[in-house]
Parts: sequence; C-alpha cells; structure tokens
Amino acid sequence: MAIVEFEIILAAIISMSAPLVLAVVGETISERVGIVNLSLEGSLLITAMVGFAVASITGSVLLGFIAAALLGGIIALLICFANITLYINMIAVGFTLTILLGKLSSYLGQPFVRIPGPYVPQIEVPWLKEIPIIGKAVIDQNVVVWLSIASIIIAWWFLYKTKSGLVLNAVGENPYSADARGINVKFIKYFYGTLGGAIVGMAGASFSLHSIYGWSNGHTLNYGWICLAIVIFGGWNPVRGAIGAYAFGGLQIMALKLQGVLFGLSQVLPLIPFPLMIMSLILIQYSQDKQFIPNRVRSILFGNQPEHLGDTFKRG
Amino acid sequence: MAGMNRFYSKDSLENLMAFGLALFCTSILLVLLGVSPWSTFIAILEGSVLGLDSLSRVFVITSIMSLSAFALIVTFSCNMWNIGVEGQMMLGAIGAVFVARSFIGDTLLSIPFMIIAAMCFGGIFGLICGLLKTKGSVHEIFAGLGLDFVAAGLIVYLVIGPWKKEGIASTSGTDIIPEMSWFPHLFDFKFPIIPILLFGSMYLILRFIYAKTSLGLKLKSVGSNTNAFSRLGLSPDMYILFGFLIAGAVVGLAGAIQVGSIYHKLVPYISGGYGFLGILIALVSGRKLSIAIVVSAFFACLVVGGSTLQIKLGLHASLPGIIQASIVLFWLMIKASSVHIKLINAVSKSYGHS
Repeated sequence: MAIVEFEIILAAIISMSAPLVLAVVGETISERVGIVNLSLEGSLLITAMVGFAVASITGSVLLGFIAAALLGGIIALLICFANITLYINMIAVGFTLTILLGKLSSYLGQPFVRIPGPYVPQIEVPWLKEIPIIGKAVIDQNVVVWLSIASIIIAWWFLYKTKSGLVLNAVGENPYSADARGINVKFIKYFYGTLGGAIVGMAGASFSLHSIYGWSNGHTLNYGWICLAIVIFGGWNPVRGAIGAYAFGGLQIMALKLQGVLFGLSQVLPLIPFPLMIMSLILIQYSQDKQFIPNRVRSILFGNQPEHLGDTFKRG
Repeated sequence: MAGMNRFYSKDSLENLMAFGLALFCTSILLVLLGVSPWSTFIAILEGSVLGLDSLSRVFVITSIMSLSAFALIVTFSCNMWNIGVEGQMMLGAIGAVFVARSFIGDTLLSIPFMIIAAMCFGGIFGLICGLLKTKGSVHEIFAGLGLDFVAAGLIVYLVIGPWKKEGIASTSGTDIIPEMSWFPHLFDFKFPIIPILLFGSMYLILRFIYAKTSLGLKLKSVGSNTNAFSRLGLSPDMYILFGFLIAGAVVGLAGAIQVGSIYHKLVPYISGGYGFLGILIALVSGRKLSIAIVVSAFFACLVVGGSTLQIKLGLHASLPGIIQASIVLFWLMIKASSVHIKLINAVSKSYGHS
C-alpha cells in the first residue's frame, strides 16, 4: 500500500515538475554561455499562451509546441541582438521584456481565457509500465515528461562530454580567451542563447498543454522567477538544476496535501527557492574564498558560476 | 540649428527625440494590436488629469514611482542594480503597519513614526542586499530578486499569522489601521500632501547629497572607477553599502505611502509592481532625478487613466503596462543604435540646406 502511494506521489512530482525542468535546462544552457535571460517570467507566460492558442486553433498539440518554441527562440534572439550587437545591458532588456511579455500575454490571451482545449495525451506502454516504481513514475506518463527527462540527460552529456559543449562553456567562462583562440564568440552566444530560449518556449507550452490545462492570466504562477533561482541553486548544472526542480515539485505536492491542515502553506512554500538560492550563492563564494572544501568536491556540491555571466562581450 | 542650441542642450534634445521615437514605435505596436493610439492616449489623458479624484491618484502614484526610481538611481550611481526595490518597499510597508498597529497608531505621533519606521525597515533590507553583495559576493541582481520574494513571504506570514484579521486568517490582508494613521488629504479634492512632501523632500535631499557633499561624489566615483577609488584609500564596499542603505530607506517611504494613502492595511504584494516600474523609469530617465519625476508622472497617468480604458474603449487593463514597457524597450534600442542622433543630424542637414 505504502509503495503504491509512493509511486503515485513520485509520478505526480515528476509530471508536475516537467515544465520547470525544461525551463531550468533551457536557462542553464543560456547562462552557461553567459546570457542571462531575465525575461523568463514573461517568456513563459507568453509561450504558454501562444502554445495553447495555436493548439486550440489548429487542434494540434505539436504545432502548439513548435509555435511556443519558435517564439521563445525569437525572444531570446532579441535579447542576444540587444546585448551582443547593440551592447545594451542584458539585464535591462530582459527585465523590460518580462514586464512587456507578461502584459502582452494577458492582452492577446483574452479569447482563450478558461476555455477547454487540447492537451498532451497519455501514452499507454503496455508491459513496461508494470515495472515497479519507474513504470508508474516515468513510463506511464506522456511525451512532455519523457522529453523533460531526456533534456536533462542530453544537456548534461552535451555540456560536459562533447567538444561543442566545451566550446560553449569556454565562451561563458571567458569569451576573450575563447575569442583569442579563434572561436566565433558572438555566433556561439547567439546560437546557444536562442536555443536556450526555444527550450524555455517549450516549457511555456508544457504549462498550458500538460501541467495546468488551458490559459488564464498569470498562468505560470511566478515560475519564471523560481526557475532563475533554481538554476543558481543547481550551480548551473542541468542535473542539479533538475533535482532542484523536482524538490520544488515535491514541496508543492506537500503544500497541496497539507493545505487543509496548515492554512497559507501553499502561499509560503513557492517562495522557499529564493532563500535557498541566496544561501547557495553564499556557500559557493564562501567555500571558494576559504578553500575549506577541496575544489573538486566544491564543484560537485555547488557548481561554478560562469565567470563572465551577464557581461557584455566587447572585442577590444 | 545653431539657434536651437541656445534653447536646448544637446543631451536633452537627443533624449526628447529618443522618447518621441519610442512613443512612435509604441503607437505602431498599438496599431498592430488593433488599438487606435490616438483614442487610447486621449482616453488615458481624460481618465487621469481631468478629474479631481483621478488627479489625486496620479499624484500619489507619481510619488510612489518617483521614490522607487530615486532608489534605483542611487544604486545605479554606485554601478549596482537594485532589483530588491520591491522587497524594500514591502519592508517599508511592514514598518509603517507595525507602527500603525502599535499603541501610538491612534495618536498624532503615528504618521511621523510610520515614516521613520518605513525608512528604517526599507533601509535595513537594502543594507542586507548590500551586505550580500559586498561580504557574501552574491550578485546584487540575484540577491535582490531573492530578497523580493523573502519579503513577499514575510508579508504572507504576517497576514495569515501574527497580524491576522480578528477571528479569521485570510490572505486579503490585515485589519484596517486606525484612521489617525491614514495620510490626510488637503482641501476637498483629496490633495495628497504627505506623499508629495515625501518625494519632494527626498528629491531635494538627494540633489543636495549628489551636488554638494563628498558622500555624493564618492557614491558616483565608486561606480565609475572602483580601482581608482580603492587606490585613494577609500573602501568601495562601505560606499556600496551606503548606496543600498539610502536606496532602501527612500523606497521604504513608498511602502509607507501604499499603507497610509492607498490600502490602509498590509496586503500580500503591497508593492503592486511599482518597484519594478521604478527600474524602467530609472532606465528611461537616464538616471537623472528630475527627469525621473517627469517620467513617473507620465507613467502614473498611464496607470490611472488606463483603468478607464476598459470602461470607455472596452480595452483590456493590461494595455497601460504594454505601453510603459514598450516605450522603455524601444527607448533602449533607439539609444543604443543611435537612430535618434542620425535623425537629428539628418533634420539638421536638411534644415541647413534649406
């Protein structure tokens, strides 16, 4: 009985966290190359709305996801253009876009508020779903959940095990050294910044087509800000970031279960990632300064902030 | 064109042109959204400045936005972002409600103490952000963002916990504070004297600090060249902390205005996004205090007049926010690409030829 309940809770956490995992992976890729996409809150809102709108109009969930990914990519491309080509501070642009896109999602999404629409269907996998724990929690889910899990593995493998990933990290760590070694820094920043934005766009669509069906104003419930916090808490590593996202999903399930007993818990729990983010940043810095933890262990525990994160790259 | 230079400085002409172009681009965006820019701006104007009640709201919101923008300008002068401005405003509101709920809440002393408490609470929260930056080496953007949500959590905790309404715990807010703690109005048309006095005096104090004191000079120089600052034997960290302390205290006042003039109680997210709008205002105003007031007044008209858009034109309440943010976005793009300067030069050339 206890195992069945555990399976159900685990399945709910993995399913509920799928959009956040995708957003964390997208933002991690973006930040690893040095681009802080501060428009995340607005990006998630507008891509959730557009994903649902396109899926509703065309009747195709796939087209909804494609439209959201394209829009997410275009938004990130705009931030890259502003920062890499026009040398505008990316925080200023990202922040302004967050407000603009959030309001635009409310304005343009009016015809789609609280209407029934398509959603990502569950896929039956006959025998594999009988496997204990994994069967229920991972296999008996839908494509979005599988995609979110695959994105963690692919991002980790790409960032740490491939030459292209090494180039990406080199640009984020020190674009000037990378430039001196003949790497096309601007192109790399544009490419991975936009790719990260496209993944965030897919995260937006999975909110409205998988996690919380449909569209309503402020649909993504501050998840953009939460994602920014979790990326830092995860030390800019997709695996640790995903663990953070699942932990947050667990907190939410806990809040839902305890809502009847402890009033207000559902309001306070979503705010927990923020003090954790601050504490993580302090620990990263403190362990670096005091050297009380060996570098290798520190890197595994907390990760390393890309050296030139958020900086504007200007060739001498 | 030479004649024009006698009346306008080059900077202000360029800023005016950039703002005009940003407004033009925003109008195009409105057309794309199926909205008539002309009817929208007229409706906003009518809804904001043509009624005494609405004018009074414009004054109050201008005060709140100006104080938020001032807080940003102070930290910008130290080359620091203060995303924590929302949280500092919330802490200011907590400070004001703390006094209003105390034994002096029903006395004449309440308002001055609310103001002092708001400054202290906001200032301390600003200082925490500064300490995280200087002592913890936490990037001020992430520290500020985190502290915003910590403040939001603190308010929710207070509203449903120790300061909950008599008998019930509801997220709709605390009990209404005593009327002696409400900021009084002047004359029949609800002239909001205290908010105006607060932001007016802050403007004068900050102008004085930056123009006449060594503290102002040091705040500016720590932002422009930290290395040179250290070589002079001065501590950059100390002045960054000063910057955050002042910014927090200034925007804490905006929290007191939210409590004393608008809500008369503590509610979750009492800052209402005005702190974040203050960031946009500080960006557009070129970090100048006086221009920040003008932009704040314009944005306040958009907020107040925007609420009538729904009634008059059947437009969604999100439209003012779209206008505000798109003006800022286009302004940033125009300034960075120097389109406005090219346009001025082209006009100047054709003016010279004709």
